[in-house]
Amino acid sequence: MPEKSFDINRIRAEIEADAETRRRQDPELARLERDIERAWIDVAPPGAAGDDPGELLLDRADRLALIDVDAPIGERRGVREVKGAIRKATYWYLRYVTDQMNAFSGVLTRLLRRMNERLDHVEHVVGIYRDDRELLDPPDAPSPATSAAIAREVGSGRTVVLSCGDGEVVAALDEAGGSAYGVDRDAVALLPGVERGLDLRTGDPRTHLVELETGSVDGLVLAGFVETLPVAMLVDLIDISLDRLAVGGRVVVAVADPGNRSPIEAELRQGRGISPETWAHLLERRGAAVSLVDSPGPRVTRLVIATTP
Amino acid sequence: MKGLSVDLLLSELGSHDATSNHTRLMRDLLVDEGADVRIVVQFVTSDEPVTLLKDWKATANLTVLQHAIGSDIADRAIRERIPVVVNYHNVTPPELVEAWDADLISGLRWGRSQLDQLAPVARGGLAVSEFNARDMRSAGFGDVHVAPVLWTLPAAAEREHRLAPTNGGTVLFVGRVAPNKCHHDLIAAMAALGSRRPEAELVLVGSMASRRYERALRRLASRLGIGERVRFTGAVSGGELASWYERADVFACLSAHEGFCVPIIEAMHHGLPVVAHRAAAVPETVGDAALLLGDKAPATIAAALHRVLSDAELRESLRSAGYARAANFAGPVSRRTNIRALAGFLEAGR
Repeated sequence: MPEKSFDINRIRAEIEADAETRRRQDPELARLERDIERAWIDVAPPGAAGDDPGELLLDRADRLALIDVDAPIGERRGVREVKGAIRKATYWYLRYVTDQMNAFSGVLTRLLRRMNERLDHVEHVVGIYRDDRELLDPPDAPSPATSAAIAREVGSGRTVVLSCGDGEVVAALDEAGGSAYGVDRDAVALLPGVERGLDLRTGDPRTHLVELETGSVDGLVLAGFVETLPVAMLVDLIDISLDRLAVGGRVVVAVADPGNRSPIEAELRQGRGISPETWAHLLERRGAAVSLVDSPGPRVTRLVIATTP
Repeated sequence: MKGLSVDLLLSELGSHDATSNHTRLMRDLLVDEGADVRIVVQFVTSDEPVTLLKDWKATANLTVLQHAIGSDIADRAIRERIPVVVNYHNVTPPELVEAWDADLISGLRWGRSQLDQLAPVARGGLAVSEFNARDMRSAGFGDVHVAPVLWTLPAAAEREHRLAPTNGGTVLFVGRVAPNKCHHDLIAAMAALGSRRPEAELVLVGSMASRRYERALRRLASRLGIGERVRFTGAVSGGELASWYERADVFACLSAHEGFCVPIIEAMHHGLPVVAHRAAAVPETVGDAALLLGDKAPATIAAALHRVLSDAELRESLRSAGYARAANFAGPVSRRTNIRALAGFLEAGR
């Protein structure tokens, strides 16, 4: 069995933080990752490269749209001459057909590009997929005092903290006798918590929530990332959260009220994040028993506690 | 089980694959328990004593169907409503290969559909991992037990503390060259590793299940300027495989889908540290004995490989943890779990 000093979670966190730090410090590494992705999309069949970035896929569509009438004739003597003669004899006809097909394909790919641009514009205006991390720091994780308040409300059982930062909430839940782990996108931020022995994992909190099985956890703490999502996504998130909880399980929402945001944050996060009251309203509409309790702050001054029926 | 008869059904009894080896070991286990066992196949590919499907009649006390891809043998069980126990090794989701290989995809779709059709007919399910058990339950199987793939320790001495890798290090993966095994992610990681370890090499051992995928992999390696550092061995003998395990410095598995992944356990048994992607049944297989990453980004995997290759203490910890993990799977616990599950089905059928 593993030796006592062998802490695989800490090593994993160090590796993920190392990769993230290098990515931030070395633009060449980020460029190399993009080049690798582009190379794979170029050599793989359409649709095989997973979530193809739209622009690369459109480039590929442009290239594939053009049908070349000059079929290769090879280099073998004799065969080459025969193929060449066939090509010459059929050229006028194939050219006539492919010109029409190429014109049609050209229209389609131009249309695809225009649709893509318009969709990008709509998404930008609505703010669905806007990534604001370059403009604004992510919301601070709950303070130690707020973390303790969250732990009191969640109780024991298996709890997942989404947007765990350096793990204050997870530590408070562990101290309260529960079994908790946290998920955060920022590998560098969670490293100190892992070094304290907490179970913190790098990953997208929303994806992690989606991948949990129905009824598989007793508690969910939603923090940080939910302040950056638009309302439509939050409504979905509420449904998913309630589904993943066991009967009698609790969701605790620890968010700052958007009404208390600074002017910069208010403008840059316009249309994203909702107040504790609205969380309570939406959770009630989905059948949960909801209460609002005071929290010591400083950012998060009220917690939303929702219990599944 | 004395005096009871058991039939083990599979398409063909191959020489190397995990399902065939598992079936042989299951036969030996049942024989040790006093059962009268037959292996029933559709296609004969070896000299071993087997019963042909066309000559077979379902008269045994227990019939176990090994299911990993669509087969006529499963169709017969469905058509004749034979109350088989389905021993499920997992069928790769067709969407993982559909852009690549039309031949492969029909067998996979067939296999998935047969799993659904077997559920109401079968006596129960025996899954080689909890991941597979979830698949079976969602297909409608009620009584599902989990028992690991049966596996014997190859004749390899426990590797003692390894010296630091020479020439940048050798990264090994063993598995069919098929899109769901994600060899392309390994090649991408090797390209990212190049800045820290320009001489590191990647060895890909396994038969070519998809020629189209293989061609794309070679082109990718060439485009990234690491064609010389990526070696495809094709299918190899048992001796050659053991030799690759001995020569490599780290085993890396970035598969998107594995029902269990025996090569990981083999690598652990040969004292190789394992780096793997957290997907499908892989976390269950490796336990705490491997470096399991949720992110497959080239820089992250490269950082993990570099860390393992340069940190002697970590290599040693992974080596000893992996060796214990492999012994656990090969040991009596695994055999007992399988026998107990089969005995339970026999008891319930009386």
